[in-house]
Amino acid sequence: MAGVAVAIGIWAALTSGGIVKTANLPTVGAVVTGVAGSWHSLLSGLTGTLESWAIGLCVAAVAGAALGLFVGLSRLAEASTEVIVRMMRPLPSLALIPVAILIAGLGVTMTAGLVAFAAFWPVFINSRYAIHQIEPRLLDTGRALGLRRWGLIRRVVLPAAAPAMATGLRISVGLAVVVTVSVELVAGTGGLGGYVLVAEQSGNIGQMYAGVIAGGILGWALNSLSLIVTRRLIPWEQAAAERAR
Amino acid sequence: MSAAAGTQARTGRRRAGWRHALGYRVLGWVGLAVALGLWQLLSVLLHKTIFPTFSGSIAVVGELLTGKVLTEDILPSVFRALAGFAISAVLGIVVGLTLGYIRWLGDYCSAVLDFLRSVPSPLLVPLALLVMGLGAKMVIAVIVSAAVWPVLLNAFDAARRIEPLYLDTARICGLRGFGLFRRILLPATLPAIFAGLRVALSVSLAVLVVAEILGASSGIGFFIQNAQQTFAVPQTYAGVIIFACLGWLFDTLFLFLERRLLAWERALAGGMRV
Repeated sequence: MAGVAVAIGIWAALTSGGIVKTANLPTVGAVVTGVAGSWHSLLSGLTGTLESWAIGLCVAAVAGAALGLFVGLSRLAEASTEVIVRMMRPLPSLALIPVAILIAGLGVTMTAGLVAFAAFWPVFINSRYAIHQIEPRLLDTGRALGLRRWGLIRRVVLPAAAPAMATGLRISVGLAVVVTVSVELVAGTGGLGGYVLVAEQSGNIGQMYAGVIAGGILGWALNSLSLIVTRRLIPWEQAAAERAR
Repeated sequence: MSAAAGTQARTGRRRAGWRHALGYRVLGWVGLAVALGLWQLLSVLLHKTIFPTFSGSIAVVGELLTGKVLTEDILPSVFRALAGFAISAVLGIVVGLTLGYIRWLGDYCSAVLDFLRSVPSPLLVPLALLVMGLGAKMVIAVIVSAAVWPVLLNAFDAARRIEPLYLDTARICGLRGFGLFRRILLPATLPAIFAGLRVALSVSLAVLVVAEILGASSGIGFFIQNAQQTFAVPQTYAGVIIFACLGWLFDTLFLFLERRLLAWERALAGGMRV
């Protein structure tokens, strides 16, 4: 944390010392007054971003985990989707923003839909991968103890795959923030991206920086939160990660 | 199919050999063909205006690749992405290894780095526009702001987890400064760095598009955006298809290069695990 204080100190020194033009990098004070002057719009921007983010991520998490498990468990499903997945995965979802606008228009549906599409892949691919990584010994033990299909999935497959699935979910959390903000910037549909756009158009550089910093804090908070939540829900994750190393 | 059947299929595959493997490979392409067929069918059934047929889109792709879009939009975009990627790679490796090697400095900077990498980089586009104006320089800067992180963090982690024996041996042999960096630090962390580079490459392309949509007067992102706004629907889809192929091509080339460059590492790692 001392590092943060030093960084802010360097920033203040650079701007007040006149080394950097304040037209490019505003003073600390200008950013603070920028936040104070637009407190309400910043807050509503943050909640707007969070809303699209949450809807998209929830859809992606459920669909990605369910389809990932299905495809991971069935060789037939896996083989027939292999090529499609290999082609879809590197497709940058951000390039789809114009297409999404064409299909779904402007609004929360479009934003959340695109977020869901982008965030789906890490969860899906990690879930699929997780199933393959399960030790056959675990499955055999479960079977020897008399577990049938659903019991085996619920009691053995899911717990064993959960750590890798959580890793995929954490990737999606960060990705979803980036996609949400990008859509807001491109389509001008409000949220944090909209806040920065308004600041840009009114030439208020202090507010632009305030928006960027708010975005950083938001991303950082969501990443930390997802780490805490997955650690809490999957306490055996740490051990699994260490074994894998 | 259940997990039990999956295991049976796996043992079965071993017995049946290559004929099974070939069958599954063919099935993958069949799956793709079915998906594309569905696209074609849907677009014929639905209204065509916002959802052009697959065959129509592919025809436009061919037109674009032979027309002036190739030299005016696609090639500049490739150049920008590669320039941003190269800068990110050098910057990420140097800064990441330095901070990872000098432990107290890394501890000091970690909170700032954590914050900076959490900033959604598209938010930086309006700022970069303000500071650098419209054009390639702005696009490259925004790419670097996003693509540097996977490289930097992987280099940082790898440098921290480096085998102390290597460093001690190097010091005894009198290596320090740049020699230590080139002979020990870089080779030992290269596998992790390459993993980061691969992510950085796809990030470069993703950010390229957003930056070009928001603030460029040429490039594939600009082309896609422009096509959408003028309701040139097939062109929009064709642009996305071209871009997707570009991403796939970059990734394939990168994997090929990595296999070439890191061949020594696989042999070494395999030998050490015995």
